[in-house]
Amino acid sequence: MSTAPTMIELQGVHKSYGQLEVLRGIDLQVTKSEVVVVIGPSGSGKSTMLRCMNALEPIQQGKIIIEGIDLTDSHTNVNKVREKIGMVFQSFNLFPHKTALENVMLAPLKVQKKSRKEVETIARDLLVTVGLSEKADSHPDQLSGGQQQRVAIARALAMQPDMMLFDEVTSALDPELVAEVLNVMKDLALGGMTMVVVTHEMGFAREVGTRMIFMDEGVIVEESDPREMIANPKEERTKKFLGMVL
Amino acid sequence: MESLLNGFEAFQRYYLNWQIIQETLPLLLRTLPIVGELLILSMFFSFFMGLVLSLMRLSHFRVFRWFAGAYVDFFRGLPLLLNFVFVYSGLAIVGAASGLRFLILPSVVAAVLSLSTTYAAYSAEVFRAGIESIHRGQMEAARSLGMTYGQSMRYVVLPQAIKVVIPPLTNEFIALIKDTSLASVISVQELLFTAKEKMGVVANPTPLMVAAFVYVLFTIPLIRLAARLEKKREGGSKGDKTTGGSTGKTSALISADIAAQLPKGGGIQL
Ligand SMILES: Nc1ncnc2c1ncn2[C@@H]1O[C@H](COP(=O)(O)OP(=O)(O)O)[C@@H](O)[C@H]1O
Ligand SMILES: [Mg+2]
Repeated sequence: MSTAPTMIELQGVHKSYGQLEVLRGIDLQVTKSEVVVVIGPSGSGKSTMLRCMNALEPIQQGKIIIEGIDLTDSHTNVNKVREKIGMVFQSFNLFPHKTALENVMLAPLKVQKKSRKEVETIARDLLVTVGLSEKADSHPDQLSGGQQQRVAIARALAMQPDMMLFDEVTSALDPELVAEVLNVMKDLALGGMTMVVVTHEMGFAREVGTRMIFMDEGVIVEESDPREMIANPKEERTKKFLGMVL
Repeated sequence: MESLLNGFEAFQRYYLNWQIIQETLPLLLRTLPIVGELLILSMFFSFFMGLVLSLMRLSHFRVFRWFAGAYVDFFRGLPLLLNFVFVYSGLAIVGAASGLRFLILPSVVAAVLSLSTTYAAYSAEVFRAGIESIHRGQMEAARSLGMTYGQSMRYVVLPQAIKVVIPPLTNEFIALIKDTSLASVISVQELLFTAKEKMGVVANPTPLMVAAFVYVLFTIPLIRLAARLEKKREGGSKGDKTTGGSTGKTSALISADIAAQLPKGGGIQL
């Protein structure tokens, strides 16, 4: 573990929206192939932390270092860094004017400037991986939530990222569609992908999580092995929260 | 009863003189190419100027935002008739006095310039509302894939926004058709100018009725089309919710003024 390279590093990160301080000093290191599960009550800053990790939000204090590159350095090309970080959102955010295949192809075509032929091969392979090869030509509004979310995962993977961020990606899904998305994520984790996963799916956390983080009011309250934290939470706030979600 | 009949008879004599209608209609139809020229050129320029202005208005650069804001406010406030007068006579006077002859514009060029500058301001408002109606998650998803702001706008946000703004832009086009008639004040030989000329010759206002008839005839199909497009948009936006696409309130985009009143949905900047 100690030899694995650090993929994501947060040092004393503070983030405010106007007067409201949402992240109040976050320190976190994620090493290669780790699957860090983030839990915590609504409004505790989980999404904000994830969004800061790929510079969708600026921070006021602290440092965020992605694979050795300081995101907060004004000379850093954040677009380049974002290419290395895949992100999947709770609300899918597929491009509604494009088919599933086109959704997956867009960024490699325009950002990496690969040939259409090469990109299409990659994209079709990815749709096979997420079990949607027959939906390549469907538009998002013709897909179920679970299918849309799997396309969104394929879209992020098409950029061949070194790490993936998942923000409550199953929360908007009907219960019977949750498993198909989690299974794709499990396969990714088994393949060695570095992942930060905000989720309340404790089964998933137990099974594939290598570390669990409990956040509350903008700070990391507790951090340990997922099975350990779920079975024996140390902090009072963690106990209370787990008591509610389990 | 008799006085009412007298009224009708007078109206018919002055406004629906059959002989004059027959003389005027072909005259007016012959001006359609010039009306079309004004329309198409003004539509083209105002579309692209409006698009650029709306992007400037949403830009990170304060100077751009300020310029576009000032432009839009100025031209939305300035009566179009005065715009015609300033661009035509105003520039010509400056041009003659200063020796900068290129400022003395042919009346058709002046008309296109006036219509374009004013309608660019309206279009900018429509585009801005259209862009802001696209859920911010679209921009975020695009940026998170490594696309630049420009790429995200071009490939993700604008293609969706264009669909949203087609109905309000159609409405603008209708208003533009009618506003080409203002070019008559700077002697462009378009439809209304020709009708007024004929009115002088026959000493009877019937040509104005013919002109009104032609304008209405050409605008009605577009009005129907705009209504249809709006309906379609309304029906189509229902399914978008889950994809984080268009927010659905866009069907309310009827005119530039309504567009300007729309709540800010996006915060599209990143
Ligand atoms: N764009 C924003 N502007 C202002 N406040 C925000 C914004 N985004 C999130 N917040 C606030 O930040 C806090 C943390 O939000 P978030 O990170 O979404 O929490 P979580 O994902 O844990 O539910 C909440 O109080 C939320 O209201
Ligand atoms: Mg959240």
